Amino acid sequence: MAPDPSPDFVTILRVLLEHEVHFIVVGGVCGVLHGAPIATFDLDIVHSRTAENVGRLLAALEALNGRYRGQGQRQLKPQQSHLSSSGHQLLITDAGPPDLLGVIGGGLTYQDLLSRTTEMEVGSGAKVRVLNLDVLIGIKEELGQEKDKAVLPIVRRTLEESRKKSQSDCGSPGAT
Amino acid sequence: MEGPVDNPQQGIEPCAGEPTHSEDGVDLTLIRWMLSMTPAERLDTLQNTVRSIVRIRTLRLHGAGPEP
Repeated sequence: MAPDPSPDFVTILRVLLEHEVHFIVVGGVCGVLHGAPIATFDLDIVHSRTAENVGRLLAALEALNGRYRGQGQRQLKPQQSHLSSSGHQLLITDAGPPDLLGVIGGGLTYQDLLSRTTEMEVGSGAKVRVLNLDVLIGIKEELGQEKDKAVLPIVRRTLEESRKKSQSDCGSPGAT
Repeated sequence: MEGPVDNPQQGIEPCAGEPTHSEDGVDLTLIRWMLSMTPAERLDTLQNTVRSIVRIRTLRLHGAGPEP
């Protein structure tokens, strides 16, 4: 029987947390965690590019059998230098495709973004840092990419509805 | 009269003051449904949605699904 090709976001996040990788969830999964009804097939994260963290990230990727996407039969594995760069590493793992982003927007790093995140529980007590929705919207608006244009209205309305809900019941569930 | 009104021609009307769609056509009922969940539940929902899409796609690849 062929393996399940569906991405398993929870497993990827859990393995990253188990290896104490410092990262921020951005992109579509970030939108979903904030309540946007959108679908995405990959997990975008911005990681800290300190040598220690890149080492932990490499160990997590080894556990997930991480390698580059779109390389056919070649099993190209990311190296320390790749993950230390500001580039975007588009990978596939046994639990689905993570995109590891050195920077996003106009060069924003993990350190730049850290104060603009919210910690959220994603199951079994596991907590991840998620980019704030207004920041995600700002970055997508700035980039102005076609792929984002269809999603932006949904994400904007999600932010509006979330703010209305916060005013009426003092916060969305699970956010800290 | 309060609450939704069943209209066979137009479906269920929204509660007063709660539009179902934004001016730019976004389904606000889906957003409110997602916001009623915890982040973990939202992630589960995404996981299930993606799994369903992949299953349908796999069925179509194997000729077991409906024609597009």
